[in-house]
Amino acid sequence: MMELRLKPKVSGLSIPLEAEVISPDVVAGKTLREVEELRVYHGNRVETLSEYFEVEGEVAPNPEEQLIIVEGDVSWVKYIGAEMTAGKVIVKGDAGMHLGSRMTGGEIIVEGSVGDWAGAEMAGGLIRIRGDAGDLLGAAYRGSPEGMRGGCIFVEGSAGYETGTGMRRGLIVIGGDAAPFTGAHMNGGVIFILGRAAKRLGAQMKGNGSLIICLGEVEELLPTFVYDTTYTPTFMRIYLKTLSEKLGIKRAEEYIGRAFRRYRGDRAVGGDGEILVVERG
Amino acid sequence: MPVYRSVVCPFCGCLCDDLEVTVEDNRIVKVRNGCAISTSKFLHHHENRVEKPLIDGESATLEEAVKEAAEILKSARRPLIYGLSSTECGAIAKAIELAELIGGVIDNTASVCHGPTILALQTLGESKCTLGTVRNRADLIIYWGCNPLEAHLRHLTRYSAMARGLYTSGGRKDRYVVAVDVRETRMKRVADLFVKVKPGGDYELLSALRAVVRGYGLDVDEVSGVPRDVILELAERMKKSRFGAIFFGLGLTQSEGRHMNIEAAIGLVADLNHHTKFVLIPMRGHYNVAGANTVTTWQTGYPYAVDFSRGYPRYNPGEYTAVDLLSRGEADAALIIASDPVAHLPYKAARRLAEIPTIVLDPKRSMTSMIGRVVIPTAAAGIEAEGTAYRMDGIPIRLKKLMEPPEGVLPDAEILSLIIEEVMG
Ligand code: SF4
Repeated sequence: MMELRLKPKVSGLSIPLEAEVISPDVVAGKTLREVEELRVYHGNRVETLSEYFEVEGEVAPNPEEQLIIVEGDVSWVKYIGAEMTAGKVIVKGDAGMHLGSRMTGGEIIVEGSVGDWAGAEMAGGLIRIRGDAGDLLGAAYRGSPEGMRGGCIFVEGSAGYETGTGMRRGLIVIGGDAAPFTGAHMNGGVIFILGRAAKRLGAQMKGNGSLIICLGEVEELLPTFVYDTTYTPTFMRIYLKTLSEKLGIKRAEEYIGRAFRRYRGDRAVGGDGEILVVERG
Repeated sequence: MPVYRSVVCPFCGCLCDDLEVTVEDNRIVKVRNGCAISTSKFLHHHENRVEKPLIDGESATLEEAVKEAAEILKSARRPLIYGLSSTECGAIAKAIELAELIGGVIDNTASVCHGPTILALQTLGESKCTLGTVRNRADLIIYWGCNPLEAHLRHLTRYSAMARGLYTSGGRKDRYVVAVDVRETRMKRVADLFVKVKPGGDYELLSALRAVVRGYGLDVDEVSGVPRDVILELAERMKKSRFGAIFFGLGLTQSEGRHMNIEAAIGLVADLNHHTKFVLIPMRGHYNVAGANTVTTWQTGYPYAVDFSRGYPRYNPGEYTAVDLLSRGEADAALIIASDPVAHLPYKAARRLAEIPTIVLDPKRSMTSMIGRVVIPTAAAGIEAEGTAYRMDGIPIRLKKLMEPPEGVLPDAEILSLIIEEVMG
């Protein structure tokens, strides 16, 4: 992969910068000069990328071969990697809102934490967040009926409110704790929670194979989720192995062979989704 | 001594339109039919006024103040326009025009009251009717997380529980009244059934009701402190009613769960419509907050939290809402119209308003006008100026002008037009 490095010239801007141009799709095929001239939005002003970043390295002819490394904390930059289709972005610190929103392919790695709406409505690709995620990770934008439609998000830390709202397909793995309303309106897709799951999990979940798997403690389930059985699903073995091998979550293997309590709901919407909670001990 | 009849009261979302106001020497001396809040506000209208335009606390001419305001807004990168719930629709339309012109963010006070309601309506739709229909037809009325006895004093007698209508000529005795709240309010005495729900437990209770209405059993003994029998009975009563209405307030929109609570309530009402006619109406507080949402929607496509920084409207509550924009320290200038955010917003947001150049348009002195860099007095809509306002059920009503504003004082819309002209240069 050809490496393009963006070094922030400023830090902690109070008015965030909108820079959806930080994406392999936009950068690839341009000259360094053209990359420097790319448009970014600061409040109501239109400026160029080079006013905020030093641009170095190489530009690839096509997005598949493009790696962009953002060297430093950019919690003030929104839309990094939004709508990207291929290539790779690495952020060496925190990132702002809407990271990787609506992306369809490629990979984003954030070494710090991300703001709200990361991976919102994404349809493919991989987002890996070493820190925490804000609210509405992989969610549906307001007024839109469907959230994440494919791809994978792995947050090593905790995730905020309404993670995976309206999720249709794809996989979200939360290494830490999950805030209330995780998996609300889910209508397909899978969410793994390794830490503590807060209440209102899967609120108004419809079905379509929606599945929330809790490997940690669960604060409380809604009264509209009904217990039906305790079993050791065979597919879980494959899932847990995949988490361990593909995402490097070694501790997932500890749960292989463990029994799960299965709850179905959300009856409030006549839904038929499932929440599996690992049996203690 | 002019006596104005059928005056519309500009003090809460009920917009009662049957008041009689007597004006003597350009001063309101008598109010009939108004509730205690309304009467007191009308009679004290002349007090506590902003008398002259101010720049940095010093009096200035209107031209100077408008010029200064325009300068502030033009040089800002992330200007915020906020308030708008206590002014008329013409002013709101002008404020939106200005927001677009300066590439700013425009938000109204719905973002701190019924914003969650709107979010939920956008997700699920809404089953609604006018207050007149409730008055004429509803035989089951549920007040959820609201207390009209303290906030909308004439609601019960004019529109809901006690009102006599076409098919409810017996008034209160023709209706079954339920109140749901986290603590016992005075509504307990009005209601046939008072349901006390554990704080933060509304979502669970609404979900349980929905499941029961859908025909599922309930496997638990109680939900959020409410016994199963009560839930089963309430669900049954809802299904059997001829026409049911749920009124809800901040107890539901601003408690844990927020817009998800309203989604649950809307869902419940939608499900009930398989059995009978059921509606849901938010108890809007400020008299024209519904108008602020309506006008913003017809002009930008979105009801609040609209960002024009990229030249076209974008909408995202949580990102472009005033509280968030201010708390994160993003807004670098603000124009506050007919609202007192310094008194009502969380400390961090209020502090930011004091740090940045803030322009305040208000008839009265307020905490916000005290921190304003530029303060411009305005004529109060519905008293000193005409205009249109939207009642809580979405009905537009024409406000009357009862008296002249103090000399040299203009209505919000005119001041905003002057600022727009100045910005355009
Ligand atoms: S209920 Fe509201 S609108 Fe009616 S008189 Fe009282 S304050 Fe005015």
